[in-house]
Amino acid sequence: MSTLVETISREIVSGHIDESIEAVKDALQGEIPPQEILDDGLLPAMERVGSLFQEGEIFIPDVFFSAKAMHESMNILRPLLAPSQSMGMGRVIIGTILGDIHDIGKRLVGTMLEGAGFTVIDLGVEVSPDAFVQGVKAHQPHILAMSSLLTTTMMNMGVTIEALLKAGVRDQVKVLIGGAPVTRDFAEEIGADGYGSDASAGVEEAKALIATLKGETGKGE
Amino acid sequence: MKVNVEGTAHFRMLSGEQIEGVLSGAMEILERVGVQVNDEEMVKLLQEGGALTEGENLVKIPSSMVERALQSAPHRVVLANRDGERNLVLEKNRIYFGTGSDCPNVIDPYTGERRPCLFDDVLRASKVADALDHIDFFMSLGLVSDVPRMTYDRHQFLAMAMNTKKPLIITCIDRNGLSDQYEMACLIVGGEEKFQANPYFAVYAEPSSPLTHSKEAIERLTFAAERGIPIVYTPGVSGGATAPVTMAGNLAQGLAETLSGLVISQLKSQGAPFIMGGVHTIMDMRTGIFCYGAPELFLLSACMTDISKELNLPMFSTAGCGDAKVLDEQAASEASLSLLMAGLSGASLIHDVGYLESGLLGSLDMLVLSDEVISMVKRILRGIIVNEETLALDVIADVGPGGHFIGKEHTRRHLRAEHWLPKLMDRTNRDAWEKGEAKTMGRRVREKVIDILEGYEPPALDEQLLGELNTIVAWADERYRGK
Repeated sequence: MSTLVETISREIVSGHIDESIEAVKDALQGEIPPQEILDDGLLPAMERVGSLFQEGEIFIPDVFFSAKAMHESMNILRPLLAPSQSMGMGRVIIGTILGDIHDIGKRLVGTMLEGAGFTVIDLGVEVSPDAFVQGVKAHQPHILAMSSLLTTTMMNMGVTIEALLKAGVRDQVKVLIGGAPVTRDFAEEIGADGYGSDASAGVEEAKALIATLKGETGKGE
Repeated sequence: MKVNVEGTAHFRMLSGEQIEGVLSGAMEILERVGVQVNDEEMVKLLQEGGALTEGENLVKIPSSMVERALQSAPHRVVLANRDGERNLVLEKNRIYFGTGSDCPNVIDPYTGERRPCLFDDVLRASKVADALDHIDFFMSLGLVSDVPRMTYDRHQFLAMAMNTKKPLIITCIDRNGLSDQYEMACLIVGGEEKFQANPYFAVYAEPSSPLTHSKEAIERLTFAAERGIPIVYTPGVSGGATAPVTMAGNLAQGLAETLSGLVISQLKSQGAPFIMGGVHTIMDMRTGIFCYGAPELFLLSACMTDISKELNLPMFSTAGCGDAKVLDEQAASEASLSLLMAGLSGASLIHDVGYLESGLLGSLDMLVLSDEVISMVKRILRGIIVNEETLALDVIADVGPGGHFIGKEHTRRHLRAEHWLPKLMDRTNRDAWEKGEAKTMGRRVREKVIDILEGYEPPALDEQLLGELNTIVAWADERYRGK
């Protein structure tokens, strides 16, 4: 592997955003194929970040910076990659549910999803069931992700899923939910497709949902 | 750390200069950054009061407004029990302990299973809280989940009031929920005037860190201010996530949130009773958990209590809680450290006793264990009295070298006041302990929970009154049917 690609990997793992961008530009100038930069630089870097986090060597803010570095690097590479690669993992619309303005977890998940190669469309906070329905229609996402911190508002997740059903778009999208009071039982009870107990578990669940989506439809991007 | 050993022991975490530094930081945040106020009418009111506004809802509050609010807020707040007895006088260094509210889960005391909280679980919690000597006020502990969602708060209030006479701190789903609970409370205490003279509950509300007052929080603030209901305004400040990672920044930002809430309350009604608070803690940087068992929580709570004394406002603090999943060694450590720290700091209302799993699990075991720890803490807080009688020089001279004190009248006279007497802590010798089935603290705690549930008769509500309360709840359910 070229040292230029190794540098990209190292800078992403270190969470150095500007340096990662520079390293990607250097590699492109050194005529390293974009696909190789992605396969040997970016993707192994994020895997390394994941395992360092699992081992307790690095912390949430470190992962956040690495994910940002990864996302910025992808923005440079995306136009240069073959169309089948450029779409990345899939599209996600994300928001906190009606009545809940607590969005720190949502932002963290959003950034980590971007770091994992997803395209994330952030609908903001206190997203009404209707706004989620409109979001599905407008953005055609693979995944709708919603979160709730408050025990008093989490039932609005079920209301949102009912609204998707009524609008006839429920089967167009996988629903992923999270937030401190949310449990897998609750996810099943309201008919969500997936649940993440924390940000990194949410990203893993999103990947698994994409895998089932590809299995179900044979499509994929 | 300065310890006053004459009478009540207490300590200070912050020097006068440190307090000034944090206060100055909070004032600067309010003037320079401002707070988001998600309520048009309130933005207007703040503007008329001298605040500067930017965009639709960013409000910058000059320190003079904060100072005015600090002048008009009462320095003492009283909470009364169901019978109108003024049991909690919230003033400097008068401490009271109580539960937290709204945990989605409980541990079933009979099966040990963790499951969603039901109406009956809040009935159990209020019964246990009523029976415990060192629990002074009651919050629901659990969030009632087996009733209509939009009216859960009226049901929850009913379960709280049914099994304890102790003063309450309530939560609500919205303004209507608060209004219904207020109506229920007034019915219980014999009318609105009686409630206002001797408030039976305080309302819990929180700004959203960083620096945001939601519409829901403003609703609670204004409803309470208009009626003279004491409000507990308490941000959940998550260091490194919703506030700076540094302790001083965490305090300053949370204080800015609290003080802007105070300004809102006093603008709405001068003299409205306001209890400051703040669960100032950290986000665990490995798991993202909002920590209830972190040393930083205990430290920051004590710091904020120091600041509350400087501001002459009652303080709503936090202890008796943790991140442990069951009542294990971790839970006991978390409960003990936090309760001692909060007690020594001299906070007015010390809540969340009984929280496990970072606030997701309400535990009667944790509550009962904490009750025992609180009684130990109170012994420490009583400190020592140094005088002729307590120095006992004559008794020492009388016994002399090689004698003993068991047979001295002085010993009998003072032992009950001087020695703390355990109820659950075990001090038997090994033989006796083994004969008693070698019970661990956990088992003794659970047995006490069951004993209370089976044997304790809580002071019942009058039947007719209960019927009327149920009618209010039923009306609320009817209004929201199908919503």
